[in-house]
Amino acid sequence: MAPRPLAALTFVILLLVPLIAQDYWVDQLTRYVLFGLFAMSLSLVWGRGGMLCFGQAMFFGGGGYIMATVTLGMWGEGLTDSLLGLMIALICAAAFAALLGYFLFWGKGLSGAYLAVVTLAIAYVLEQAVKSWYALGGDNGISGVPPITFAGFEFWQTSPRYYLILGVCIVVYALLDRLVRSPFGVMLTGVRTNPDRAMYLGFNVFTIRVTAFVIGAVIAALSGALFVAVDEFASPTLIGFALSTEVLIWVALGGREMPLAAFVAAILIRIVETYLSELFGAYWILALGGLLMVSVVMLPKGLLATPFALFQSRRKLNQQ
Amino acid sequence: MTDIAILILNTTSYILILVLVALGLVVVFGMMGVINMAHGELFMLGAYTVVVAGQMGLPFWLGALLAPLFVGAVGLLIEWMLIRHIYRRTLDTILATWGLSIVLKQAVVLFYGPSSQSVTVPIAGAVAIGDFSYPIYRLLLMTMAVMLIAGMLWLFLRSDFGLKARAVMARPDTAACLGIDTRAMYRRTFVIGAALAGFAGAIVAPLISVDPSMGLGYLIPGFISIMVGGAGALSGVLLGGGLVGATNNLLTVWLSPVLAQIAVFLLAIIIIRLRPSGLMGGRHGT
Repeated sequence: MAPRPLAALTFVILLLVPLIAQDYWVDQLTRYVLFGLFAMSLSLVWGRGGMLCFGQAMFFGGGGYIMATVTLGMWGEGLTDSLLGLMIALICAAAFAALLGYFLFWGKGLSGAYLAVVTLAIAYVLEQAVKSWYALGGDNGISGVPPITFAGFEFWQTSPRYYLILGVCIVVYALLDRLVRSPFGVMLTGVRTNPDRAMYLGFNVFTIRVTAFVIGAVIAALSGALFVAVDEFASPTLIGFALSTEVLIWVALGGREMPLAAFVAAILIRIVETYLSELFGAYWILALGGLLMVSVVMLPKGLLATPFALFQSRRKLNQQ
Repeated sequence: MTDIAILILNTTSYILILVLVALGLVVVFGMMGVINMAHGELFMLGAYTVVVAGQMGLPFWLGALLAPLFVGAVGLLIEWMLIRHIYRRTLDTILATWGLSIVLKQAVVLFYGPSSQSVTVPIAGAVAIGDFSYPIYRLLLMTMAVMLIAGMLWLFLRSDFGLKARAVMARPDTAACLGIDTRAMYRRTFVIGAALAGFAGAIVAPLISVDPSMGLGYLIPGFISIMVGGAGALSGVLLGGGLVGATNNLLTVWLSPVLAQIAVFLLAIIIIRLRPSGLMGGRHGT
């Protein structure tokens, strides 16, 4: 739960960027903001729900591939609408996540490291499957995905597209913020901190977990579907192991319990990466790995979430 | 007939390497609740030790001897700098050691480049019985692996050190009260696990392509073996490694390697889901 003024500040800054930045950076930022949205989904599942999912990219890439195939008319000649593609992507992600969640969490359920390794293996399997799936372009992926079209307007120009994507992010963030503060959010925290006690108090731990898992999957699929439409390209790298661990690093560095921290961290890390990898090349990755170690040992709540939380507690003190 | 014999021998050698990797993982996990995602990179460092020793003109066997020493020393450093701060924070160890794995991988890329290196097989000959012939080095590798696994089992199940180690695994606080230096046990166990991975990497180096990301290909099957077999007992690793390795290699007779791996992972996931404490695990277990 990030303080609302901070969230407002973040989004106002993001809204102002196209007024000062060059088109190239706005175009890059469109992608980074979508990675931020993706990071928020993992923050919900892992940070709020305590389910360490090492394969969150399976929903991101899955949503992306569905969007790509629908809008390219591979499901049927007349069915190339962007909105339809998004709907199908979200519904499929929800259905898959519900099935997977049912498999993972029924009964005593998997948790902790077991869940991590199993989800990692599933993401790996899916990546391999997509790579060897001829109709989906195999290793080469699918290129030429059409831009988002909505009510006859094609979002291919940099600024309108950026504002569309940012608008989606703001709406999702607002909904997520509400969800986290709602009774469901409190139950989710309860299930994370002490599942046995939550169960003893009569909460249905299984349903709560699967619901959070499904919501996370839908947000991830939304970001993936939009990403593919922005990037005009769907490739196996979007679905597998590499992106799954990358998003985990963004969320861990930002602060897993705070969707805003995860969102900002993903964007910042991508920006810094673009800058620094030109300057320092491969040393940047070395630094990122080192930063992750330091952060886990010294600031396990996250590099951004810790100061964010400080801001909140100061405000509370002032109000008293 | 000879095809089958070769298949069985290749499968056995794959299983033995997998078990070596998994043994290092499981003692560290059982002892201090640390999931070492950088274990694959320790394996990779072992292989690179042999590569570098070869470039310096040293014989292969000296390199293979240096590998566990060097990787063990790296393990000691890692334990001191990172692992001791996060004992028993299992989920945090996944992240921290993942960061470590990135660092090690990238450091090797910076020093030796991302391309793969090769190590020449130190003994080129083959054993021939009638139609059947098999490289001597592979037989030697299996012998060494078997001896090492047996040594590890002896160390942890029969020696004084092993008794103390198992005491620390079962009840760390009680063991500390009884005068066992648990810190020292943790350190030694981690170094043993690292050295084991380094040696495994060194002796496999001539058979596979040595590149900075080779560790992952052994890490995930290693973890899966542990979970299938059960993390509670060392014998679980033998069973798990055997099952995972055998299924993987035998399925390649009918399926492509990629499909075989997918099938193994899916089977393993189902087993892990149905028996979270592993096939060898008792009724209680984590």
